[in-house]
Formats: sequence, structure tokens, C-alpha cells
Amino acid sequence: MEARVAGVPQDEESGLLPRPPAASRRPSSAAPRRAPPPVVWATVDGPLGLPLEEAEGHARRFFLWGFACLPFLWAINCCYFWPVLRSPVASSSSPFYRIRPYILRSAVGFTIFSLVLLTWATTFIIGGERLFGPAWNDLVMYNVADKLGITGFMG
Amino acid sequence: MADDAAAVHGEASSTVLDVLGEDIIRIVSPVSTCMLLVVLLVSLLSSPSFPSPLSAPFAAAAGTGGGGDDITTALITAVIFVVAVTAATFLIVLLFYLRCTPCLRAYLGFSSLSVLLLLGGQVSLLLLSRLRFALDAVSFALLLPNVAAVLTLAALSPASVPIALHQAALVAIAVLTAFWFTLLPEWTTWALLVAMAVYDLAAVLLPGGPLRVLLELAIERNEEIPALVYEARPIDPHHGQNWRLWRDRNQPDRALDANSTVEVIGEVLERNLDANSSGNLVISATQSEEQANMDGTAGSLRPGETPVPNLSSDSANVLAPPETRVAVAEMRVPLIQTRPQRTRDEDGGDDGIGLSTTGAIKLGLGDFIFYSVLVGRAAMYDYMTVYSCYLAIIAGLGITLLLLAFYRKALPALPVSITLGVVFYVLTRTLLETFVMQCSTNL
Repeated sequence: MEARVAGVPQDEESGLLPRPPAASRRPSSAAPRRAPPPVVWATVDGPLGLPLEEAEGHARRFFLWGFACLPFLWAINCCYFWPVLRSPVASSSSPFYRIRPYILRSAVGFTIFSLVLLTWATTFIIGGERLFGPAWNDLVMYNVADKLGITGFMG
Repeated sequence: MADDAAAVHGEASSTVLDVLGEDIIRIVSPVSTCMLLVVLLVSLLSSPSFPSPLSAPFAAAAGTGGGGDDITTALITAVIFVVAVTAATFLIVLLFYLRCTPCLRAYLGFSSLSVLLLLGGQVSLLLLSRLRFALDAVSFALLLPNVAAVLTLAALSPASVPIALHQAALVAIAVLTAFWFTLLPEWTTWALLVAMAVYDLAAVLLPGGPLRVLLELAIERNEEIPALVYEARPIDPHHGQNWRLWRDRNQPDRALDANSTVEVIGEVLERNLDANSSGNLVISATQSEEQANMDGTAGSLRPGETPVPNLSSDSANVLAPPETRVAVAEMRVPLIQTRPQRTRDEDGGDDGIGLSTTGAIKLGLGDFIFYSVLVGRAAMYDYMTVYSCYLAIIAGLGITLLLLAFYRKALPALPVSITLGVVFYVLTRTLLETFVMQCSTNL
């Protein structure tokens, strides 16, 4: 039974292509019926996404750029390499061995960022004027927009 | 539809019919989503108490006392816009000719970033004000540039983000631009739509048109035009190759990939025409379409539905089921290898519909934008016009896809849909509305 590491949805390929014997998680367990070696897909797009060789460089680039105040790149990293996150803890023979640390750290970074942001935003919305005093009115975005007159500047 | 066909024809029909329906759905869904979002935005953010923010500059520029919303102003504005777009397209052709691809990509990046940042910021501010959602300035200042940067990245480099995000970013850009266009005064919007439809027709089909020149340059050089184009996800991912990274047309083993609707239809039609048993297929297709046009009501989506079962049933009769895929695949090899790439370019957006190297359908972002502008402007009147214009546009899109299957070259996607949309808007507003009102008050 072929595992779902490839991430290719069943409905896209059923009945249209012979199931590639290559989409197997453990390369050694796939009995090769053809000459080409088994192919493993690291991305959620499967065969349409990045090949395995480029995945590591891509994951590292997005992880490092995420520190430039762009935490959503970490989120993209996690979503794009979902099969890597979902695979079991990597032994050194797993094909995802080098990618996984970056994805894990991106996931941690994005979780921290979103927790901080959500906490702050929820406190602001729920606390309201009781908590912040008159400063609340100065911080609310629609008041700021009205004050700066930027609501209508494009039209 | 798929179930009936499968029951009747056995195992062969699932290939043609599933692929057909799937391809069409994959291009109709994002168009519908874009239109739905624009209608939602227009309903939320426009009200009679807010005058159109863009009508004041028009009144000032035109100098007429009528508030800037008369026909002459509209026509002048539309002509100026078309001239500007033509000039910009010729500039892009020139840059492409001089191989300044970095310039083009930089321009695309700049325009998508500015749309997402400025227009996106304004729309979100309007939404926050209207919904009285108490987001604070710090979070907003943190979120907006982040989201804009990420969506720009997703729109420009499809290889590094999930396909779904790339498509979502393109739809977001189209929604924001279309919403901005709906802020124009009414007559100007309609004049603009009609003028753009005429321009699209001329630019793509006339020998001197800028888009046609651009296409021929791209074919001749075997290069891809950097542009904002929505490409539907191909149905048969060719395992082992990345269709986005390696768009090289000269790989012979890619020839068996593309299994898109339009090629299958074209294939079946060509084989039948050659084999002289064709008369039935072609006539049945046209007959069914005429019949569909006659019994459909003003808004019903018949033309797209009815010809399909006829084609598939005839094809199943003509081609033996087990050999269908192999025969069709073999026949397609020479067609794909000589098939030119079809993309369209315009300033920041795109017009025209075509086929990519994998056979997936490509639709320019300009088409998304102008369809949504039409539906958005219809939403400013009433939802009845929205429904009829939506169905008219989807019918026009279906007709264009069918023409694409017949002619197999890039076609302008605007003219048919905009014409049908405008016609049905006028008919709904004048005839259907009185009819419906009379019915609902007197029944």
C-alpha cells in the first residue's frame, strides 16, 4: 500500500494515470517494476511542486528571510512542506532529513508570532477603553485612518 | 453528468468527460470566486450615501455641470484609457523585443505590490470602518505590509509557493483592481468595458495588434512572456517533472501529458473530419448548441452543458474504448510539439485566453478584472442584474473556450462575455425587472 507522502490527492490521479510505483515513502520497500528510481515529493503539490534536491535550499531561504519581519514566510514554509512535517521523526536515512529542521523551526517561529499577535489584538479588542483609557481611541485603526485622511486617498 | 455518462458508456467515458468537466471547472471557479468577492465588497462598501469617490475629479476635468456622469465624458475617458493601455502594451512589446526581462519582471512586481499595498490597504481600512472592527494600528501596520509582500511573492514566482496560494494571490490582485474600477461613475464604467472589449478584439486578432505582435515574438523566441496570467492546475501531473520549472516545449516525453479539454475536443473533431464520418459529429454539436440557445432562458447556462454529452457520446461511438487514450495520445504528439505558447500580456494585467505548454487553460488577469467590474457595477443596481450578468459572462466564457477548442490559437476572452453581459444587463434592467415586479406584486 503506497503511503501518502507524495501529497497528491487521490481524486486527481485516479483513473487517469497508472499509479506510479515511485510514490513511495521508503524507497527500499517499493518493488521497482520499471527502471526509474522511486521519486519522493516533499511539497504539498506533489509532482507539480519542487523536486527534492531544491527543497532544502528553498526551505532554508524562506526560514532565514522570515527573520526579516516576514513571519508569513514561515507559514508558507510549513504549508508548502506539509508532507515533511507530517512524516515521522526523521532518521538519517529518511529523504526529508535535511529539510525537516528548517520546517520545524519555521513552525515554531510562526506559532510564537501568531500567539503574540493574537494575544495583543484580542486584549486590545476586548479590553477596549476600560483597559487602555483614552489611548484606546488613538490606537484604533479606523480612528487613525480618519485622522490621517487615508481612507479616501486613492479615490 | 459524470455518473450518467459512466453508466451509459462504460469505462471509456470517464476519461473524456471527467477531463472536460474538470478543466472547465478549474477555470470557471476562480472567475466565479473573483466575481463573488467583488460583489461582496461592493455590497458592503457602497451605499447611496457615499458618492463615488472618483466622480469629483471627473467632474472637475470635464468641466460640465452634470456631475461628470454623462455620455461624452464617459466616451472621452474610455478612449483615453484605451489609448493609454495601447501605448503601455507597445512599450511592453518593445521591452520584450529588447530582451529586458528584468525590467518587465520589476514592473510586474512593482505593480502587484502597489495594488496589494495601496488598494488592499484602502479596502481593508474601508472594511474596518464599515464593520467597526476594532483592530489596532500596530497590528494593522504589522499585518498589511507582510501580507502584501507575501502575496506579491506568491503571484510572481509560482514555483516557490503552493499552487493554491499563487492562484489566490492572482485572484486577490484581480479583486482589488476590479473593486477600484467599480468606483468610477456609471457611464464611464460601461463605456470603459465596451472599449476594452473592442480593444481586446483588435489587439489579439488584427495583424498589427500589440498583443498579437507580443505573442509572435514569444513564439519565435521560444520564451515565456513575464505576465500575470492565471493558469489552471493541469489534470495530469507528469510525475517526475515540474511543469512550472521546466516549461521547455521540446521535450518529447512531455507530449503525452496534456490531456486538457480543448485538445481532446479538437482531437476528436479532427479525426472525425478526416475520417469522413464527421458530418454527424459537427452537425450534432451545432444543432445541440442552437437548440440550447433556443430553449434556454435569458440567463440559463445551457450552451456550456448541452454540447458536451453529444460530443462525448459521439466520440465514444467512434473510438474504441480501450484504445481511446493511446490513440488520442499518439495523435497528439505532432500537435503538441508544434504548438506555440499562448500567453498574453498587458500592463500589469492580461487579456486573452490560451493554452499553456502542458495544455492547461490560461486566462489573463485582465479578463478576471473586467468580468468582475461588470458584475460589480451590476451589483450596484440590484442583485437581479448580478445573477443575469454572471450567467451571461459564464456563458460567454464557455463559448470562448469552445472557440478555443476549434481554432486552437490564443483568443481574446473579453469580447463575447462583455457583449453578452452588457446586453443582458440592459435587458434585465428594462424588461425583466418590470416583469418580475409585476409578478411578485400581483401573484
